[in-house]
Amino acid sequence: MSTFHLKISTPDGMAFEGDVERLRVRMIDGDVCLLAHHADYVSAVGAGEAAITMEDGTQRRAACIGGMLAMMKNEANLIATTFEWSDQIDLERAERAKARAQERLQAAKDDKREVMLAQAKLQRALVRINVKK
Amino acid sequence: MAGASMKDIKLRIKSVESTMQITKAMELVASSKLRRAKERQERLRPYFTGLKATLDQIECATNDFSSPYQQEREVRKRLLIVIAGDRGLAGGYNANIFKAASALCEDGAPACVLPIGKRAVEFFTRKGYEVLSGEFAEAADVSIPDCFTIGKMVAKGFVERQYDEVTIVYTRFVSMLTQTPDTVRLLPLESAELQRETGVRPLVLYEPSPAAVYDAIVPNYLAGMLYGAMCESVASELGARRTAMDAASKNAAEMIDDLSLRYNRARQGAITQEITEIVAGAEH
Repeated sequence: MSTFHLKISTPDGMAFEGDVERLRVRMIDGDVCLLAHHADYVSAVGAGEAAITMEDGTQRRAACIGGMLAMMKNEANLIATTFEWSDQIDLERAERAKARAQERLQAAKDDKREVMLAQAKLQRALVRINVKK
Repeated sequence: MAGASMKDIKLRIKSVESTMQITKAMELVASSKLRRAKERQERLRPYFTGLKATLDQIECATNDFSSPYQQEREVRKRLLIVIAGDRGLAGGYNANIFKAASALCEDGAPACVLPIGKRAVEFFTRKGYEVLSGEFAEAADVSIPDCFTIGKMVAKGFVERQYDEVTIVYTRFVSMLTQTPDTVRLLPLESAELQRETGVRPLVLYEPSPAAVYDAIVPNYLAGMLYGAMCESVASELGARRTAMDAASKNAAEMIDDLSLRYNRARQGAITQEITEIVAGAEH
């Protein structure tokens, strides 16, 4: 199968650069899968799992949260706020974060800002746990 | 008499020496941390430039573009995000930042402040400013997720009209020796400098819509900007501390030289006096 070039950058540096066959990412309005020679495309990344099929057909999974994805002239540029390969995820830490976020959500009650923050934290933890499993 | 003064001088030399050891150590620590802070900032660059390019593209590609983030409103209230240090002993670093921040408030529009760094939190609480959140008291510890929390919060507050302008006050790292305070307006966003193309536009699919993509990216862009400013400020603080500590070590060395000279003179004086006394005693 034909491939395309993919660059993944995060605030903490480049997470990946190379040729891939297929890229699936959760956008703000659902999953999107890109193959080579896709039309020029720009959208914002939601929170969820990303799956990348490499040149040799192996698939790697990652937690991918926030940012944007652009496909221009058969070159994809994924700019993610958080991008962690499944083997980099610390399950225990994610479980702890989940418990903390749940506690915070309980305690927040009517404080809108607190609820928003806690929900975001909870979602991040859940995405990580799901990708790891 | 001479003996007592000799002992005093000796004690002073010792205390200056130990001070010099501390300033030297602080200088070394600052230079090694400085390198790391600069590297962090370098790593952010591809992320940040990517977002900025996309924002500009969207704006240029759409005819009737409008976003709540670009809306210029009469400034009834402004938000200042002030990044200062956690500790003193960094020359004029903190004082300069506060001067720059206070200058911004001069036209009278009420301001609320989001201080980052222990010194900033202390300063603005003491001065009685409205402080949005005192959570970010350790500038060196503010992580990327924290920046995204702030970015989201700031973007939301702006759209909800809690404030009409957001400015960030930070210190620009010009070189190892110079760091200058700088202010950058975050919101409303400046329009793209590129002229909107009138002819053929590239056909790009924006999903769900250009405006939706734009608005979803803005908080990330703000966070990137903030994180960049933060890295630069931390680097500047370390740079300022390095320079200050370098000067302090030099001063200490100078003082030690001066004191050693005085010590030797006093010693010589004491010996001469003793000899004179002995000789005088022998003559009688």
